[in-house]
Amino acid sequence: MDKVSNKMEIRQISKTFFASKGYFVAIEDVSFDVRDGEFLVILGPGHCGKTVLLNIVAGLDKQTGGRVLYDGTPMDGVNNQISMVFQKLALMSFKTVMQNVELGLTFRGTPKNERRKISQKYLDLVGLTGFEKSYPYQLSGGMKQRVGIARAYANDPKVLVMDEPFGQLDAQTRYAMQEELLKTWEKDKRTVIFVTNNIEEALYLGDRIVLLSECPAKVKAIYPVDLPKPRDMTGKIFLDLRAEISSNTDLAI
Amino acid sequence: MMNLEEKKKSGLELFLYWGLPILAILLVVGGWLWFAISNPRLMPNPLQVYERLIRTFTRPVAKVNLFGHAFASLGRVLMALVFAWVIGIVLGILIGWSRVCKAVIGTIFEIIRPIPPIAWIPIVIMWFGIEEFPKVLLVFIGTFVPLVINTAAGIGLVDKINIDVGKIFGGNRFQILAQIVIPTALPSIFAGIRTSVSSGWTTVLAAEMIAAQHGLGALVTRGWQGSDMALVMVAVITIAIIGAFLAFSLNKLEKWVCPWTK
Ligand SMILES: Nc1ncnc2c1ncn2[C@@H]1O[C@H](COP(=O)(O)OP(=O)(O)O)[C@@H](O)[C@H]1O
Ligand SMILES: [Mg+2]
Repeated sequence: MDKVSNKMEIRQISKTFFASKGYFVAIEDVSFDVRDGEFLVILGPGHCGKTVLLNIVAGLDKQTGGRVLYDGTPMDGVNNQISMVFQKLALMSFKTVMQNVELGLTFRGTPKNERRKISQKYLDLVGLTGFEKSYPYQLSGGMKQRVGIARAYANDPKVLVMDEPFGQLDAQTRYAMQEELLKTWEKDKRTVIFVTNNIEEALYLGDRIVLLSECPAKVKAIYPVDLPKPRDMTGKIFLDLRAEISSNTDLAI
Repeated sequence: MMNLEEKKKSGLELFLYWGLPILAILLVVGGWLWFAISNPRLMPNPLQVYERLIRTFTRPVAKVNLFGHAFASLGRVLMALVFAWVIGIVLGILIGWSRVCKAVIGTIFEIIRPIPPIAWIPIVIMWFGIEEFPKVLLVFIGTFVPLVINTAAGIGLVDKINIDVGKIFGGNRFQILAQIVIPTALPSIFAGIRTSVSSGWTTVLAAEMIAAQHGLGALVTRGWQGSDMALVMVAVITIAIIGAFLAFSLNKLEKWVCPWTK
Protein backbone atom coordinates (compact mmCIF):
# COMPACT_ATOMS: atom_id res chain seq x y z
CA MET A 1 0.00 0.00 0.00
CA ASP A 2 1.06 3.59 -0.68
CA LYS A 3 1.74 5.56 2.39
CA VAL A 4 -0.91 8.27 2.68
CA SER A 5 0.70 11.64 3.37
CA ASN A 6 -1.22 14.56 4.83
CA LYS A 7 -0.88 17.98 3.24
CA MET A 8 -2.89 19.65 5.96
CA GLU A 9 -4.27 18.59 9.31
CA ILE A 10 -7.24 20.34 10.85
CA ARG A 11 -7.21 19.60 14.58
CA GLN A 12 -10.07 20.36 16.99
CA ILE A 13 -10.86 23.69 15.38
CA SER A 14 -13.51 25.79 17.04
CA LYS A 15 -14.65 29.33 16.40
CA THR A 16 -16.80 31.50 18.61
CA PHE A 17 -17.87 35.02 17.66
CA PHE A 18 -18.24 37.42 20.53
CA ALA A 19 -20.68 40.29 20.22
CA SER A 20 -21.82 43.03 22.57
CA LYS A 21 -24.58 40.79 23.88
CA GLY A 22 -23.53 37.18 24.19
CA TYR A 23 -21.59 34.95 21.83
CA PHE A 24 -22.19 32.66 18.91
CA VAL A 25 -20.49 29.29 18.39
CA ALA A 26 -20.00 28.79 14.65
CA ILE A 27 -17.62 25.80 14.67
CA GLU A 28 -17.08 23.22 17.39
CA ASP A 29 -14.25 20.70 17.53
CA VAL A 30 -13.79 20.05 13.83
CA SER A 31 -10.96 17.69 12.83
CA PHE A 32 -10.02 16.12 9.50
CA ASP A 33 -7.00 15.52 7.29
CA VAL A 34 -6.35 16.84 3.82
CA ARG A 35 -4.31 14.28 1.90
CA ASP A 36 -1.70 15.24 -0.62
CA GLY A 37 -3.24 15.45 -4.11
CA GLU A 38 -6.78 14.56 -3.12
CA PHE A 39 -10.04 16.26 -4.05
CA LEU A 40 -11.63 16.72 -0.64
CA VAL A 41 -15.22 17.91 -0.45
CA ILE A 42 -16.71 19.56 2.63
CA LEU A 43 -20.48 19.14 2.55
CA GLY A 44 -22.78 20.99 4.92
CA PRO A 45 -26.08 22.86 5.15
CA GLY A 46 -26.28 26.61 4.50
CA HIS A 47 -25.03 28.96 7.23
CA CYS A 48 -23.38 26.11 9.15
CA GLY A 49 -19.98 27.76 9.24
CA LYS A 50 -18.35 26.45 6.06
CA THR A 51 -17.01 29.82 4.97
CA VAL A 52 -15.78 30.57 8.47
CA LEU A 53 -13.98 27.20 8.50
CA LEU A 54 -12.38 27.80 5.11
CA ASN A 55 -11.19 31.25 6.11
CA ILE A 56 -9.44 29.65 9.07
CA VAL A 57 -7.95 26.88 6.89
CA ALA A 58 -6.69 29.53 4.43
CA GLY A 59 -5.23 31.65 7.23
CA LEU A 60 -7.54 34.65 6.74
CA ASP A 61 -9.22 34.27 10.10
CA LYS A 62 -8.09 33.12 13.54
CA GLN A 63 -9.69 30.13 15.23
CA THR A 64 -10.63 30.39 18.89
CA GLY A 65 -9.43 26.84 19.55
CA GLY A 66 -7.43 24.07 17.89
CA ARG A 67 -4.68 24.06 15.29
CA VAL A 68 -4.23 23.96 11.54
CA LEU A 69 -1.05 22.21 10.37
CA TYR A 70 0.44 22.70 6.93
CA ASP A 71 3.07 20.07 6.05
CA GLY A 72 3.22 19.34 9.76
CA THR A 73 3.83 22.92 10.95
CA PRO A 74 1.20 25.15 12.55
CA MET A 75 -0.14 27.92 10.30
CA ASP A 76 0.10 31.55 11.23
CA GLY A 77 -1.73 33.83 8.81
CA VAL A 78 -1.94 33.30 5.07
CA ASN A 79 0.37 30.90 3.26
CA ASN A 80 1.50 31.54 -0.31
CA GLN A 81 0.97 27.86 -1.19
CA ILE A 82 -2.76 28.05 -0.48
CA SER A 83 -4.99 29.82 -2.97
CA MET A 84 -8.71 30.41 -2.81
CA VAL A 85 -11.81 30.73 -4.97
CA PHE A 86 -14.19 32.98 -3.06
CA GLN A 87 -17.90 32.32 -2.63
CA LYS A 88 -18.61 35.97 -3.32
CA LEU A 89 -16.30 35.97 -6.37
CA ALA A 90 -14.48 39.10 -5.20
CA LEU A 91 -13.05 39.99 -8.59
CA MET A 92 -11.46 43.40 -8.90
CA SER A 93 -13.98 45.45 -10.86
CA PHE A 94 -11.26 47.85 -12.02
CA LYS A 95 -9.04 45.16 -13.49
CA THR A 96 -9.53 43.38 -16.80
CA VAL A 97 -10.01 39.61 -16.82
CA MET A 98 -6.33 39.16 -17.62
CA GLN A 99 -5.20 41.54 -14.85
CA ASN A 100 -7.46 39.76 -12.36
CA VAL A 101 -5.94 36.41 -13.21
CA GLU A 102 -2.43 37.87 -12.94
CA LEU A 103 -3.02 39.31 -9.46
CA GLY A 104 -0.83 36.89 -7.51
CA LEU A 105 1.92 37.01 -10.13
CA THR A 106 1.89 40.81 -10.12
CA PHE A 107 2.27 40.90 -6.35
CA ARG A 108 5.21 38.52 -6.62
CA GLY A 109 6.87 40.73 -9.22
CA THR A 110 6.84 38.19 -12.04
CA PRO A 111 8.00 39.87 -15.30
CA LYS A 112 5.18 40.94 -17.58
CA ASN A 113 5.63 38.54 -20.50
CA GLU A 114 5.95 35.56 -18.18
CA ARG A 115 2.83 36.73 -16.34
CA ARG A 116 0.96 36.95 -19.63
CA LYS A 117 2.01 33.45 -20.62
CA ILE A 118 0.93 31.84 -17.35
CA SER A 119 -2.39 33.66 -17.08
CA GLN A 120 -3.19 32.99 -20.74
CA LYS A 121 -2.65 29.29 -20.11
CA TYR A 122 -5.23 29.22 -17.32
CA LEU A 123 -7.66 31.49 -19.14
CA ASP A 124 -7.55 29.04 -22.05
CA LEU A 125 -7.96 26.14 -19.63
CA VAL A 126 -11.19 27.53 -18.16
CA GLY A 127 -12.50 28.54 -21.59
CA LEU A 128 -12.16 32.31 -21.42
CA THR A 129 -10.00 32.77 -24.49
CA GLY A 130 -10.96 36.04 -26.17
CA PHE A 131 -12.19 37.75 -22.97
CA GLU A 132 -8.76 38.82 -21.70
CA LYS A 133 -9.49 42.53 -22.04
CA SER A 134 -13.09 42.46 -20.75
CA TYR A 135 -14.03 43.92 -17.39
CA PRO A 136 -15.96 41.79 -14.87
CA TYR A 137 -19.19 43.77 -15.37
CA GLN A 138 -19.22 42.58 -18.98
CA LEU A 139 -19.24 38.88 -18.02
CA SER A 140 -21.99 36.44 -17.02
CA GLY A 141 -22.02 34.84 -13.57
CA GLY A 142 -20.50 31.61 -14.85
CA MET A 143 -17.71 33.44 -16.64
CA LYS A 144 -16.88 35.49 -13.54
CA GLN A 145 -16.62 32.27 -11.57
CA ARG A 146 -14.14 30.93 -14.15
CA VAL A 147 -12.05 34.07 -13.76
CA GLY A 148 -11.93 33.33 -10.03
CA ILE A 149 -10.82 29.76 -10.72
CA ALA A 150 -8.17 30.82 -13.26
CA ARG A 151 -6.92 33.46 -10.82
CA ALA A 152 -6.47 30.82 -8.11
CA TYR A 153 -4.71 28.39 -10.48
CA ALA A 154 -2.40 31.05 -11.92
CA ASN A 155 -1.03 31.68 -8.44
CA ASP A 156 0.37 28.12 -8.66
CA PRO A 157 -0.86 26.92 -5.26
CA LYS A 158 -0.18 23.52 -3.74
CA VAL A 159 -3.62 23.61 -2.12
CA LEU A 160 -6.66 25.09 -3.82
CA VAL A 161 -9.53 26.09 -1.54
CA MET A 162 -12.90 26.54 -3.28
CA ASP A 163 -15.87 27.99 -1.40
CA GLU A 164 -19.16 26.99 -3.09
CA PRO A 165 -17.77 28.12 -6.43
CA PHE A 166 -20.88 27.04 -8.34
CA GLY A 167 -23.46 28.12 -5.77
CA GLN A 168 -24.88 31.02 -7.78
CA LEU A 169 -25.06 29.21 -11.11
CA ASP A 170 -28.13 27.67 -12.74
CA ALA A 171 -28.24 23.85 -12.90
CA GLN A 172 -27.18 23.68 -16.55
CA THR A 173 -24.10 25.85 -16.14
CA ARG A 174 -23.33 24.13 -12.89
CA TYR A 175 -23.06 20.66 -14.50
CA ALA A 176 -20.92 22.06 -17.27
CA MET A 177 -18.62 23.79 -14.79
CA GLN A 178 -18.31 20.65 -12.63
CA GLU A 179 -17.16 18.70 -15.66
CA GLU A 180 -14.73 21.41 -16.67
CA LEU A 181 -13.34 21.63 -13.17
CA LEU A 182 -12.73 17.87 -13.16
CA LYS A 183 -10.96 18.09 -16.52
CA THR A 184 -8.86 20.98 -15.30
CA TRP A 185 -8.01 19.08 -12.15
CA GLU A 186 -7.03 15.94 -14.12
CA LYS A 187 -4.71 18.01 -16.33
CA ASP A 188 -3.21 20.02 -13.50
CA LYS A 189 -3.39 18.00 -10.27
CA ARG A 190 -3.40 19.84 -6.99
CA THR A 191 -4.81 19.25 -3.57
CA VAL A 192 -8.33 20.68 -3.59
CA ILE A 193 -10.62 21.54 -0.67
CA PHE A 194 -14.04 22.11 -2.18
CA VAL A 195 -17.04 23.33 -0.19
CA THR A 196 -20.61 22.73 -1.29
CA ASN A 197 -24.11 22.27 0.08
CA ASN A 198 -25.11 20.00 -2.82
CA ILE A 199 -24.90 16.20 -2.30
CA GLU A 200 -24.71 15.33 -6.00
CA GLU A 201 -21.93 17.82 -6.56
CA ALA A 202 -20.05 16.39 -3.58
CA LEU A 203 -20.44 12.83 -4.86
CA TYR A 204 -19.57 13.77 -8.44
CA LEU A 205 -16.31 15.51 -7.52
CA GLY A 206 -15.00 14.25 -4.20
CA ASP A 207 -12.38 11.61 -3.41
CA ARG A 208 -13.61 11.94 0.16
CA ILE A 209 -16.53 13.83 1.64
CA VAL A 210 -16.46 15.48 5.06
CA LEU A 211 -20.07 15.86 6.17
CA LEU A 212 -20.73 18.74 8.56
CA SER A 213 -23.68 19.12 10.91
CA GLU A 214 -25.78 22.24 11.13
CA CYS A 215 -24.79 25.09 13.43
CA PRO A 216 -22.43 24.84 15.23
CA ALA A 217 -20.53 22.92 12.60
CA LYS A 218 -19.20 19.52 13.72
CA VAL A 219 -17.95 16.61 11.62
CA LYS A 220 -20.76 14.03 11.36
CA ALA A 221 -18.94 11.54 9.17
CA ILE A 222 -16.23 11.21 6.54
CA TYR A 223 -17.10 9.19 3.41
CA PRO A 224 -14.51 7.87 0.95
CA VAL A 225 -15.91 7.72 -2.60
CA ASP A 226 -14.04 4.96 -4.43
CA LEU A 227 -15.52 5.44 -7.87
CA PRO A 228 -13.58 6.31 -11.05
CA LYS A 229 -14.11 9.79 -12.54
CA PRO A 230 -16.02 11.02 -14.43
CA ARG A 231 -18.76 9.36 -12.46
CA ASP A 232 -22.07 7.96 -13.57
CA MET A 233 -24.62 9.78 -11.45
CA THR A 234 -27.19 7.03 -11.96
CA GLY A 235 -24.95 4.08 -10.99
CA LYS A 236 -25.95 1.86 -8.06
CA ILE A 237 -23.01 2.63 -5.78
CA PHE A 238 -23.45 6.37 -6.45
CA LEU A 239 -27.13 6.29 -5.58
CA ASP A 240 -26.64 4.10 -2.50
CA LEU A 241 -23.99 6.42 -1.16
CA ARG A 242 -26.21 9.38 -1.93
CA ALA A 243 -29.05 7.83 0.07
CA GLU A 244 -26.73 7.05 2.95
CA ILE A 245 -25.33 10.58 3.17
CA SER A 246 -28.78 12.05 2.68
CA SER A 247 -30.21 10.13 5.63
CA ASN A 248 -27.33 11.28 7.81
CA THR A 249 -27.77 14.94 6.90
CA ASP A 250 -29.32 17.70 9.02
CA LEU A 251 -32.16 19.52 7.27
CA ALA A 252 -32.66 19.28 3.55
CA ILE A 253 -29.56 20.34 1.69
CA MET B 1 -40.48 47.92 -41.68
CA MET B 2 -37.77 47.37 -39.12
CA ASN B 3 -35.89 50.35 -40.49
CA LEU B 4 -38.87 52.62 -40.33
CA GLU B 5 -39.48 51.61 -36.72
CA GLU B 6 -35.90 52.39 -35.81
CA LYS B 7 -36.06 55.73 -37.55
CA LYS B 8 -39.17 56.69 -35.64
CA LYS B 9 -37.54 55.75 -32.34
CA SER B 10 -34.37 57.64 -33.13
CA GLY B 11 -36.53 60.64 -34.05
CA LEU B 12 -37.97 60.63 -30.54
CA GLU B 13 -34.52 60.24 -29.00
CA LEU B 14 -33.24 63.12 -31.12
CA PHE B 15 -36.07 65.26 -29.81
CA LEU B 16 -35.26 64.31 -26.20
CA TYR B 17 -31.54 64.86 -26.70
CA TRP B 18 -31.62 68.08 -28.71
CA GLY B 19 -35.16 69.34 -28.97
CA LEU B 20 -36.03 69.70 -25.28
CA PRO B 21 -32.73 71.30 -24.18
CA ILE B 22 -32.98 73.82 -27.04
CA LEU B 23 -36.55 74.50 -25.99
CA ALA B 24 -35.36 75.09 -22.42
CA ILE B 25 -32.73 77.57 -23.60
CA LEU B 26 -35.27 79.40 -25.75
CA LEU B 27 -37.53 79.61 -22.71
CA VAL B 28 -34.77 81.23 -20.64
CA VAL B 29 -33.88 83.71 -23.40
CA GLY B 30 -37.56 84.46 -23.93
CA GLY B 31 -38.07 85.11 -20.23
CA TRP B 32 -35.01 87.32 -20.21
CA LEU B 33 -36.29 89.33 -23.20
CA TRP B 34 -39.70 89.75 -21.62
CA PHE B 35 -38.18 90.86 -18.31
CA ALA B 36 -35.67 93.22 -19.97
CA ILE B 37 -38.38 94.87 -22.13
CA SER B 38 -40.77 95.37 -19.23
CA ASN B 39 -38.06 96.52 -16.75
CA PRO B 40 -35.33 98.17 -18.87
CA ARG B 41 -33.76 99.81 -15.80
CA LEU B 42 -33.32 96.55 -13.92
CA MET B 43 -32.23 94.27 -16.73
CA PRO B 44 -30.28 94.93 -19.95
CA ASN B 45 -31.50 93.09 -23.05
CA PRO B 46 -29.34 90.50 -24.87
CA LEU B 47 -28.23 93.00 -27.51
CA GLN B 48 -26.96 95.40 -24.85
CA VAL B 49 -25.11 92.55 -23.17
CA TYR B 50 -23.54 91.58 -26.48
CA GLU B 51 -22.37 95.18 -27.02
CA ARG B 52 -20.99 95.23 -23.49
CA LEU B 53 -19.16 91.97 -24.24
CA ILE B 54 -17.49 93.58 -27.28
CA ARG B 55 -16.52 96.56 -25.14
CA THR B 56 -14.67 94.33 -22.65
CA PHE B 57 -12.21 93.85 -25.51
CA THR B 58 -12.16 97.34 -27.02
CA ARG B 59 -11.99 99.10 -23.62
CA PRO B 60 -10.57 96.53 -21.18
CA VAL B 61 -11.54 96.76 -17.52
CA ALA B 62 -8.47 97.32 -15.31
CA LYS B 63 -6.27 97.01 -18.43
CA VAL B 64 -7.31 93.39 -19.02
CA ASN B 65 -9.88 92.05 -21.50
CA LEU B 66 -12.51 89.38 -20.73
CA PHE B 67 -10.17 86.52 -21.49
CA GLY B 68 -7.63 88.02 -19.14
CA HIS B 69 -10.17 88.11 -16.34
CA ALA B 70 -11.31 84.56 -17.04
CA PHE B 71 -7.71 83.32 -17.02
CA ALA B 72 -7.03 85.14 -13.76
CA SER B 73 -9.90 83.25 -12.11
CA LEU B 74 -9.01 79.94 -13.74
CA GLY B 75 -5.35 80.31 -12.79
CA ARG B 76 -6.19 80.78 -9.11
CA VAL B 77 -8.53 77.80 -9.14
CA LEU B 78 -6.08 75.52 -10.91
CA MET B 79 -3.20 76.47 -8.67
CA ALA B 80 -5.30 75.79 -5.57
CA LEU B 81 -6.72 72.58 -7.05
CA VAL B 82 -3.32 71.06 -7.76
CA PHE B 83 -2.30 71.51 -4.14
CA ALA B 84 -5.70 70.42 -2.85
CA TRP B 85 -5.73 67.28 -4.98
CA VAL B 86 -2.28 66.15 -3.95
CA ILE B 87 -2.56 66.97 -0.25
CA GLY B 88 -6.29 66.17 0.06
CA ILE B 89 -6.11 62.77 -1.57
CA VAL B 90 -3.03 61.74 0.39
CA LEU B 91 -4.61 62.85 3.68
CA GLY B 92 -7.90 61.14 2.76
CA ILE B 93 -6.08 57.89 2.07
CA LEU B 94 -4.21 58.10 5.38
CA ILE B 95 -7.43 58.76 7.31
CA GLY B 96 -9.28 55.96 5.53
CA TRP B 97 -6.50 53.40 5.86
CA SER B 98 -4.86 53.99 9.23
CA ARG B 99 -6.86 53.99 12.41
CA VAL B 100 -4.39 56.24 14.15
CA CYS B 101 -4.64 58.86 11.40
CA LYS B 102 -8.40 58.56 11.49
CA ALA B 103 -8.45 59.19 15.22
CA VAL B 104 -6.21 62.26 15.01
CA ILE B 105 -6.56 63.96 11.59
CA GLY B 106 -10.07 62.60 11.02
CA THR B 107 -11.35 64.25 14.19
CA ILE B 108 -9.90 67.62 13.19
CA PHE B 109 -11.69 67.32 9.86
CA GLU B 110 -15.00 66.47 11.45
CA ILE B 111 -14.71 69.77 13.26
CA ILE B 112 -13.81 72.01 10.31
CA ARG B 113 -15.99 70.22 7.77
CA PRO B 114 -19.26 72.09 8.48
CA ILE B 115 -17.61 75.51 7.99
CA PRO B 116 -18.55 76.78 4.51
CA PRO B 117 -15.53 77.98 2.51
CA ILE B 118 -16.89 81.52 2.27
CA ALA B 119 -16.88 81.77 6.06
CA TRP B 120 -13.08 81.64 5.93
CA ILE B 121 -12.90 84.86 3.90
CA PRO B 122 -12.76 87.33 6.83
CA ILE B 123 -10.22 85.24 8.74
CA VAL B 124 -7.97 84.76 5.75
CA ILE B 125 -8.15 88.43 4.77
CA MET B 126 -7.33 89.47 8.32
CA TRP B 127 -4.34 87.18 8.47
CA PHE B 128 -2.97 87.38 4.96
CA GLY B 129 -4.36 90.58 3.42
CA ILE B 130 -5.78 90.79 -0.08
CA GLU B 131 -2.88 89.74 -2.25
CA GLU B 132 -2.80 86.71 -4.52
CA PHE B 133 -1.91 84.17 -1.83
CA PRO B 134 -5.00 84.57 0.40
CA LYS B 135 -7.31 84.04 -2.59
CA VAL B 136 -5.55 80.86 -3.62
CA LEU B 137 -5.56 79.78 0.03
CA LEU B 138 -9.33 80.32 0.25
CA VAL B 139 -9.93 78.22 -2.83
CA PHE B 140 -7.57 75.61 -1.44
CA ILE B 141 -9.59 75.40 1.79
CA GLY B 142 -12.86 75.12 -0.15
CA THR B 143 -11.60 72.35 -2.41
CA PHE B 144 -9.43 70.46 0.01
CA VAL B 145 -12.14 69.56 2.52
CA PRO B 146 -14.53 67.68 0.17
CA LEU B 147 -11.54 65.80 -1.24
CA VAL B 148 -10.36 64.55 2.14
CA ILE B 149 -13.88 63.58 3.18
CA ASN B 150 -14.75 61.73 -0.03
CA THR B 151 -11.41 59.97 -0.28
CA ALA B 152 -11.48 58.81 3.33
CA ALA B 153 -15.07 57.59 2.98
CA GLY B 154 -14.23 55.73 -0.22
CA ILE B 155 -11.21 54.02 1.31
CA GLY B 156 -13.16 53.10 4.44
CA LEU B 157 -15.97 51.53 2.40
CA VAL B 158 -13.74 49.07 0.55
CA ASP B 159 -15.17 45.59 1.20
CA LYS B 160 -13.04 43.48 3.56
CA ILE B 161 -13.20 40.61 1.09
CA ASN B 162 -11.14 42.63 -1.42
CA ILE B 163 -8.43 42.93 1.20
CA ASP B 164 -8.71 39.18 1.90
CA VAL B 165 -8.16 38.55 -1.81
CA GLY B 166 -5.04 40.68 -1.62
CA LYS B 167 -3.74 38.68 1.35
CA ILE B 168 -4.48 35.29 -0.24
CA PHE B 169 -2.64 36.29 -3.40
CA GLY B 170 0.40 37.32 -1.45
CA GLY B 171 0.16 41.11 -1.44
CA ASN B 172 1.94 43.00 1.33
CA ARG B 173 0.23 45.87 3.11
CA PHE B 174 1.50 48.49 0.70
CA GLN B 175 0.62 46.47 -2.42
CA ILE B 176 -2.88 45.86 -1.08
CA LEU B 177 -3.32 49.58 -0.46
CA ALA B 178 -1.89 50.72 -3.79
CA GLN B 179 -3.23 48.03 -6.09
CA ILE B 180 -6.54 47.05 -4.49
CA VAL B 181 -7.84 49.57 -1.98
CA ILE B 182 -7.08 52.83 -3.80
CA PRO B 183 -8.38 51.69 -7.21
CA THR B 184 -11.53 50.33 -5.55
CA ALA B 185 -12.06 53.74 -3.96
CA LEU B 186 -11.26 55.65 -7.18
CA PRO B 187 -14.89 56.41 -8.10
CA SER B 188 -15.41 57.98 -4.65
CA ILE B 189 -12.16 59.89 -5.00
CA PHE B 190 -13.42 61.16 -8.33
CA ALA B 191 -16.67 62.25 -6.73
CA GLY B 192 -14.51 64.33 -4.39
CA ILE B 193 -12.61 65.80 -7.34
CA ARG B 194 -15.87 66.77 -9.01
CA THR B 195 -17.15 68.47 -5.85
CA SER B 196 -13.81 70.19 -5.37
CA VAL B 197 -13.88 71.73 -8.84
CA SER B 198 -17.39 73.17 -8.51
CA SER B 199 -16.69 74.30 -4.98
CA GLY B 200 -13.40 75.87 -6.08
CA TRP B 201 -15.06 77.75 -8.93
CA THR B 202 -17.65 79.17 -6.51
CA THR B 203 -15.11 80.11 -3.87
CA VAL B 204 -12.74 81.92 -6.23
CA LEU B 205 -15.55 84.15 -7.45
CA ALA B 206 -16.62 84.95 -3.90
CA ALA B 207 -13.02 85.78 -2.98
CA GLU B 208 -12.58 87.98 -6.06
CA MET B 209 -15.84 89.80 -5.45
CA ILE B 210 -14.54 90.98 -2.12
CA ALA B 211 -11.07 92.08 -3.09
CA ALA B 212 -9.45 91.78 -6.51
CA GLN B 213 -8.31 93.83 -9.49
CA HIS B 214 -8.65 91.03 -12.00
CA GLY B 215 -10.93 88.02 -12.30
CA LEU B 216 -14.54 87.35 -13.18
CA GLY B 217 -15.60 87.97 -9.59
CA ALA B 218 -13.91 91.40 -9.77
CA LEU B 219 -15.88 92.12 -12.96
CA VAL B 220 -19.14 91.31 -11.18
CA THR B 221 -18.30 93.68 -8.32
CA ARG B 222 -17.15 96.37 -10.75
CA GLY B 223 -20.41 96.18 -12.72
CA TRP B 224 -22.49 96.04 -9.60
CA GLN B 225 -20.86 99.06 -7.96
CA GLY B 226 -20.94 101.08 -11.21
CA SER B 227 -24.59 100.13 -11.84
CA ASP B 228 -23.38 98.47 -15.05
CA MET B 229 -25.79 95.50 -15.16
CA ALA B 230 -24.67 94.58 -18.66
CA LEU B 231 -21.14 93.99 -17.37
CA VAL B 232 -22.51 91.86 -14.52
CA MET B 233 -24.40 89.78 -17.07
CA VAL B 234 -21.31 89.34 -19.24
CA ALA B 235 -19.37 88.08 -16.22
CA VAL B 236 -22.16 85.81 -15.00
CA ILE B 237 -22.65 84.19 -18.41
CA THR B 238 -18.90 83.64 -18.74
CA ILE B 239 -18.85 82.08 -15.27
CA ALA B 240 -21.68 79.72 -16.24
CA ILE B 241 -20.04 78.70 -19.52
CA ILE B 242 -16.67 77.99 -17.89
CA GLY B 243 -18.39 76.08 -15.05
CA ALA B 244 -20.24 73.90 -17.54
CA PHE B 245 -17.06 73.33 -19.51
CA LEU B 246 -15.19 72.25 -16.35
CA ALA B 247 -17.94 69.77 -15.43
CA PHE B 248 -17.96 68.39 -18.97
CA SER B 249 -14.17 67.89 -19.05
CA LEU B 250 -14.26 66.14 -15.67
CA ASN B 251 -16.86 63.70 -16.93
CA LYS B 252 -14.67 62.85 -19.91
CA LEU B 253 -11.64 62.51 -17.65
CA GLU B 254 -13.49 60.17 -15.32
CA LYS B 255 -14.59 57.91 -18.19
CA TRP B 256 -10.97 57.76 -19.26
CA VAL B 257 -9.53 57.11 -15.79
CA CYS B 258 -12.24 54.65 -14.65
CA PRO B 259 -13.27 52.72 -17.78
CA TRP B 260 -14.87 49.98 -15.68
CA THR B 261 -17.64 52.20 -14.30
CA LYS B 262 -20.53 52.67 -16.65
N1 LIG C 1 -17.60 37.90 11.55
C1 LIG C 1 -18.68 37.27 12.04
N2 LIG C 1 -19.24 37.67 13.20
C2 LIG C 1 -20.32 37.03 13.70
N3 LIG C 1 -20.93 35.98 13.14
C3 LIG C 1 -20.42 35.53 11.98
C4 LIG C 1 -19.28 36.14 11.36
N4 LIG C 1 -19.01 35.47 10.21
C5 LIG C 1 -19.94 34.50 10.12
N5 LIG C 1 -20.78 34.52 11.18
C6 LIG C 1 -21.89 33.59 11.41
O1 LIG C 1 -21.43 32.27 11.30
C7 LIG C 1 -22.41 31.44 10.71
C8 LIG C 1 -21.78 30.64 9.58
O2 LIG C 1 -21.50 31.49 8.50
P1 LIG C 1 -20.83 30.94 7.16
O3 LIG C 1 -19.55 30.27 7.49
O4 LIG C 1 -20.78 32.08 6.21
O5 LIG C 1 -21.90 29.87 6.65
P2 LIG C 1 -21.83 28.99 5.34
O6 LIG C 1 -21.78 27.57 5.82
O7 LIG C 1 -23.10 29.25 4.60
O8 LIG C 1 -20.62 29.37 4.58
C9 LIG C 1 -23.52 32.35 10.23
O9 LIG C 1 -24.62 32.20 11.10
C10 LIG C 1 -22.95 33.73 10.34
O10 LIG C 1 -23.94 34.65 10.70
MG1 LIG D 1 -20.39 30.22 2.77
